[in-house]
Amino acid sequence: MTDETILSVEDLVVDFETDHGIVHALRGVSFRLRRGEALGIVGESGSGKTVACRAILRLLAENASIKGGRIWFENQDVLALDAVGLSRLRGERIAMIFQNPSTHLDPLMTAGKQVGEALRVHRGVSKGEARRQAIKLLADMRIAESERRVDTFAHELSGGMRQRVMIAAALACSPSILIADEPTTSLDVTIQAQILDLLRGLRRERGLSMILVSHDLGVIAQMCDHVVVMKDGRVVETGSVEEVIGRPREEYTRRLIASQPFLMAPASAPASLGEPILALEGLSVHYGLGVGFLDRMRHHGGRTIRAVDNLDLAVGRGEALGIVGESGSGKSTIARAIVGLAPVCEGAILCEGQRVDAMAAEQRLRFRRAVQMVFQDPFTSLNPMFTVSETLAEPLRQHGMRPERDIGLRIDELLAMVDLQPDLKRRRPGQLSGGQRQRVGIARALALEPRVLIADEVTSALDVTIQAQILGLFARLRRSMDLTLILISHDLAVVRHLCERIVVMRHGRLVEAGRTERIFAAPEHDYTRELLAAIPRVKAMPA
Amino acid sequence: MTAAVETSTFQRRARRAPPTLVVGAFIVGTWIALALLAPWLTAYDPIAVDVTNTLKPMSGEHWLGTDSFGRDVFSRLLHGARLDLQMAFFGVVGPLIIGTAIGLLAAYYGGVVDALLMRVLDVTVSFPYFVLVIAIVAVLEPGLRSYYISLTLVNWVTYARLMRSQVLVLKNAEFVLAARTIGIRDRRIMLRHILPNAIAPSIVFVMTDAVLTIVLGSSLGFLGLGVQPPEPEWGVMIAEGQVYLKQAWWIAVFPGIAISTLALGFSLAADGMAKLLHAAQ
Repeated sequence: MTDETILSVEDLVVDFETDHGIVHALRGVSFRLRRGEALGIVGESGSGKTVACRAILRLLAENASIKGGRIWFENQDVLALDAVGLSRLRGERIAMIFQNPSTHLDPLMTAGKQVGEALRVHRGVSKGEARRQAIKLLADMRIAESERRVDTFAHELSGGMRQRVMIAAALACSPSILIADEPTTSLDVTIQAQILDLLRGLRRERGLSMILVSHDLGVIAQMCDHVVVMKDGRVVETGSVEEVIGRPREEYTRRLIASQPFLMAPASAPASLGEPILALEGLSVHYGLGVGFLDRMRHHGGRTIRAVDNLDLAVGRGEALGIVGESGSGKSTIARAIVGLAPVCEGAILCEGQRVDAMAAEQRLRFRRAVQMVFQDPFTSLNPMFTVSETLAEPLRQHGMRPERDIGLRIDELLAMVDLQPDLKRRRPGQLSGGQRQRVGIARALALEPRVLIADEVTSALDVTIQAQILGLFARLRRSMDLTLILISHDLAVVRHLCERIVVMRHGRLVEAGRTERIFAAPEHDYTRELLAAIPRVKAMPA
Repeated sequence: MTAAVETSTFQRRARRAPPTLVVGAFIVGTWIALALLAPWLTAYDPIAVDVTNTLKPMSGEHWLGTDSFGRDVFSRLLHGARLDLQMAFFGVVGPLIIGTAIGLLAAYYGGVVDALLMRVLDVTVSFPYFVLVIAIVAVLEPGLRSYYISLTLVNWVTYARLMRSQVLVLKNAEFVLAARTIGIRDRRIMLRHILPNAIAPSIVFVMTDAVLTIVLGSSLGFLGLGVQPPEPEWGVMIAEGQVYLKQAWWIAVFPGIAISTLALGFSLAADGMAKLLHAAQ
């Protein structure tokens, strides 16, 4: 790595014009990328990290305007380029890959066409030559059987494969800079580890300069030489990864580091496993693939997906149990089966010794109170038409938890429990932040005074600092309300902070279960080891 | 205190209302006002024949001239607004309610309920639309009441489809799952959680549909199956005036302008409504 600057952004100001007035997305952002270097940009949602990257390629939305600053690429003023110059810059010199490979690939194009397109446009190569080079590029992305895969469409590929295709397309014309905007955020941890590995290799082999945008400091620490910390459209701190993570100067950086789940304290020594409050005995949940009832009659239930297959699991009173697995492992289905949202095909669910799955409607309603669930996505888990107080009043009224005149009082209590100001109760979800909405979701579950609380990926849509707050809230609620907690997550680090016992799931089956320290110190199963190895860790611990 | 909060919300909403909605609502509102005030705005009886005064051009006496029977066009236009607005309302309200209910039930319960209701829908759709509407009106008895019944029997399919596609997505939304988890019963989930969140596209479509209803109603009048002469109705007026287009253009042109402005008002309102409902979510 030389000290030659290949790209520099100077005092960049970008405004967005919205229905609600002007939003200052970037308020004077400067950074530089050296040749051959990997620069990390870290920040939470709304910090402007994506806007900064898109501005480099002038790929901003129509309502955005660059109000000031300069962008230099190899002594070229990017902001002064005409359409032809810009097109050359985009395809050939600087390439970009995006967060969601499923929406950034054209569903009507084969992988080969997608990759070859840039070559055909910029290099004017023939169809056959483009295809030949595409096969080679796909092979370079370590896609096995690239000769066959070159003719597949996006929907026939897994998420990780799609991301590889997108990288291949980006690198087709051998650009000098690759900008990767949250390239692994929507992927499972083990796939994320593979893609990061690929990017690292490509950088070495091709001498790429790279800008990696992520909300995950662990990913940045693993991949980058320098890091830029952004907040509210400004650069908060910049320096080498060791400096910034090892000796953060700014308060915000320190908070960001402290919020990394892997750096948070693991759950303390567990109480001995009490009598089981909830038990799953040989639980199986299968989904038929036929959509209509005619399909089902024709196939006689032929093709089914075994979302959960013959699972035995006991949850002790007062314990915090973590269920970990990647997408498709069946971890969410377990939660849905317990609260009655997924059909139980075989086996039994027992709550305090009673069969829940075979209960009459009236009895089941009472059981609903005992086991409550907090949902994953704070943006869809609240009725957008309901105010906060309507959302919280509904369960209270349905179960007659309080006489009508005390409901307002109880709503204030619930809001206080989840650290929300009482004046938020007149707002609708659209007027709340992600963290606030998730707190409302928790309050709704608590309204029924449950004994078991199931939290399904409750922090995966939130920023790390908010995630840390919500995890803290769970820990506190658990103590103060004597809750049994089931925390479902794809992130072992998140679970480690809160749970004394961990269950690892894969393909609907239980892989390994045990005490948290034991799982982390001496995993018994290969898959668990793989999961553990895939967690991006911050190497340098803060002083 | 509460009142102050209410006004401020109202003001914010009003300020946020898209200009298309304001203009559209103004046009439709003006026509409603004209229709209501028709008897006081004009001295002429809309169906009184005056053979001494036929095909008179616009004048201070007859603002928009007279037709071939010597009837005052302005008076017929305003009284016609009453009928046409009535058609716009009653022509869509039945299909909206029935279609929405069927779409909601079919999508929410799925399975056999869905399959059966959707097959009924397929059968309805498989007939040519205009032919079916006209046939039903002809079988019943020519007139507006038959027209409304016929529209309800045929037009519910659009609303059922709109609703069904919305509900299929919404019934698996996490807030609906959350409601089920806290033990809320199906009826309340459908009416309080799903319906308000699913109705927006239907409300927007109602605006467009109202225009189509007027146009189709006018065509029926033309065929002698809708509003019967001498009742003033814009479609009937155009049909009658068409013969005299060369000598007395005002007989057909003014009702034409009336239909156009009302249609414009409805579609502007629909456009604005779509924006507003989208912003609210």
